[in-house]
Amino acid sequence: MKRVILTVFFVLMGLALAQTNVRVGVLLPISTVAGKAALNGIQLAADQVNASGKVKLELVVADDGNAAASAVPALTKLMTVDKVDIVIGGLSSGVTFALSGPVKQYNPLFLCIGAASSVVEQAFSGYDRFFHYHPWDYHNVAAAMSFFKSLYDEGAKKIAILYEDGPFGSAGIQTYQDQLKKTGFTVQAEPFKSGSGNFTAILTRFKSFKPDILYWIGYDVDALPIAAQTRQVGLEPKLIYGAPPAWPAGFEKNNLSNDVAGMTAWLPSVSNNESRKFVTAYRKKFGDITDEYMAPMGYTIVLSLGKAIEAAGSADKDKIAEALAKVQMDTPFGPLSFKPSDTGKTKYQGFNQSIWLQFQYLEGSRRPVFPANRASRPLRFPGNY
Amino acid sequence: MELLLQTLINGILAAGIYALVASGLALAVGVVGIVNFAHGEFSMIGAFVCYLMFTRFGLDPLLSLGIAALVVFLVGAASYYGLIRPILGAPELNQMLLTFGLSVALQNVALLVFGAETRVVSPPYQGSTLSLAGLSFGVPQFAAFLLSLFVLGGLYWFLGRTRTGFAVRAVAQNRVAPGLLGIETQRVYLLAFGLSAAIAGVAGVMLSVMLYASPTVGFAYTLKAFAIIVMAGLGNLRGVIPAAVILALAEAFVSTYVPGGGGWVEAVFFLVIFVALTWRSWRDVFVTRRRRSPAEGRTP
Repeated sequence: MKRVILTVFFVLMGLALAQTNVRVGVLLPISTVAGKAALNGIQLAADQVNASGKVKLELVVADDGNAAASAVPALTKLMTVDKVDIVIGGLSSGVTFALSGPVKQYNPLFLCIGAASSVVEQAFSGYDRFFHYHPWDYHNVAAAMSFFKSLYDEGAKKIAILYEDGPFGSAGIQTYQDQLKKTGFTVQAEPFKSGSGNFTAILTRFKSFKPDILYWIGYDVDALPIAAQTRQVGLEPKLIYGAPPAWPAGFEKNNLSNDVAGMTAWLPSVSNNESRKFVTAYRKKFGDITDEYMAPMGYTIVLSLGKAIEAAGSADKDKIAEALAKVQMDTPFGPLSFKPSDTGKTKYQGFNQSIWLQFQYLEGSRRPVFPANRASRPLRFPGNY
Repeated sequence: MELLLQTLINGILAAGIYALVASGLALAVGVVGIVNFAHGEFSMIGAFVCYLMFTRFGLDPLLSLGIAALVVFLVGAASYYGLIRPILGAPELNQMLLTFGLSVALQNVALLVFGAETRVVSPPYQGSTLSLAGLSFGVPQFAAFLLSLFVLGGLYWFLGRTRTGFAVRAVAQNRVAPGLLGIETQRVYLLAFGLSAAIAGVAGVMLSVMLYASPTVGFAYTLKAFAIIVMAGLGNLRGVIPAAVILALAEAFVSTYVPGGGGWVEAVFFLVIFVALTWRSWRDVFVTRRRRSPAEGRTP
């Protein structure tokens, strides 16, 4: 009996010693839809990594408050009090840009979940512990442009752009217009103040332009007023296309969302093995599935980190970074591997424009409609607004 | 011509909800004498009451108006009793800081309870449109405009035709004399502040249909309400409707006729505050000089 107990003890000791324990800081705007989804994905993947027994991840979660003023102290606490060497975070571009200085000061391995702005790419250029999973803004533009080219071929010639006048909506708007004009579109663009809720005047002015596509770049607060007021002023475009970072909760159940299109990196209906596995596991843990692509993005980051830690066999951040750079894996978005960014400013870029898909709100849910190889339904064009 | 008429309609319809929010604020300023920075948060509570009634019980926003008004009246009355009343005699800066703190606290409570996401209420008439001679406008906007007129009409009737309304006006004019006549000033304050909150709550229900429900939905409207009451004269209820019409029309015209005006439209209320205050101070200087000048002429 004594021998059995001793054997079990030594086996368990051996396993514990073989297990690599790593403390990971998670810095997200956890009160927002996207931040909460990302955190769920991260926790789900951490459970799976820990269940494998080879790596033990301990998550230290902090709220960045979606503002630089709260994100910087939260990062400082993660680095100085919680003593983490790895941070997953950087959802919004503005906050991540503000974090670039403190990150360089404390030198963690920074796994960036969002922050598409090229300004962030510039800010982290030369920082070799920066792994950016999300596509950059120029990837987003390329993906959207390919959709608009297909609409041009379908007969859409005029595009009216409503863009919010902050950094999110205004960044690159001129480039966007130029590219659309190069494609052959006639473009009319107007700025607006996000959250004002009053679009009737601008939409009325658009009426004389008679756009085929109404393309708006703003936030979730603008989605419903634009959809409602487009009808109220009798604008009648063939397609309303929105590009907010997140859509309002329950928007899909509102009749006004019918036929509104947008872009996302993932939907639960995407049919690949990793996506199906993710959807099943997410449902099992949280009871329901989300449409937010930040959930599988967080999940992917932690799974790739788990693989890297396992390959490195060490908790040393440089060895983990070295192993992470070599990771190749299938994810709910498709294959993941790291290459230098297209501009060469950062060394480790995960995904590019290939992960983006266009969806349309049809019968109460978002359905992939473009590109054809990922579409579950044909695009309803012209839409009925 | 069609664009001009459409712009006029857009502006006038927007004025209804502006006037409603601003009337509540004017009541708080005029009667209780407190600049309530949490006024928009009372609208936010109204919006969330409507959202909950719609999603939990399928109650149409029009039917939840009364419930929202009652809930927000009680929140307003409790805020007055617990927070405002003890500092009524304090310097104005302290009062403003308190209401600012209340605003932040209410927003954060909403954040904790509902999260930061934008929530939508989806009644069947939300996208309905009325068309008349080539001009079109939304049914919710038109309904909100009519409802605002109705609520404001009710408020003016209450203040002008009822004994309690007379008491409220008496307290607004003089804080000491009504007490000598047996009017309980504190009760009037409580009623006025509660009413002010309830009106904001009703506006919040309309905002939830026209825009969305979120912890910050009332903020922009509070700023506009401040511009309106400054233009009308602080606490002057009668001036609220014309001031709201001026602001809404100014916004509509800037948005329609100024190139890139959509980005400028939210700056209009700052301009309105600036112009109103500057004009008033110049008017005061001018009037003072005119009054002084004959006397100065007689001075040896």
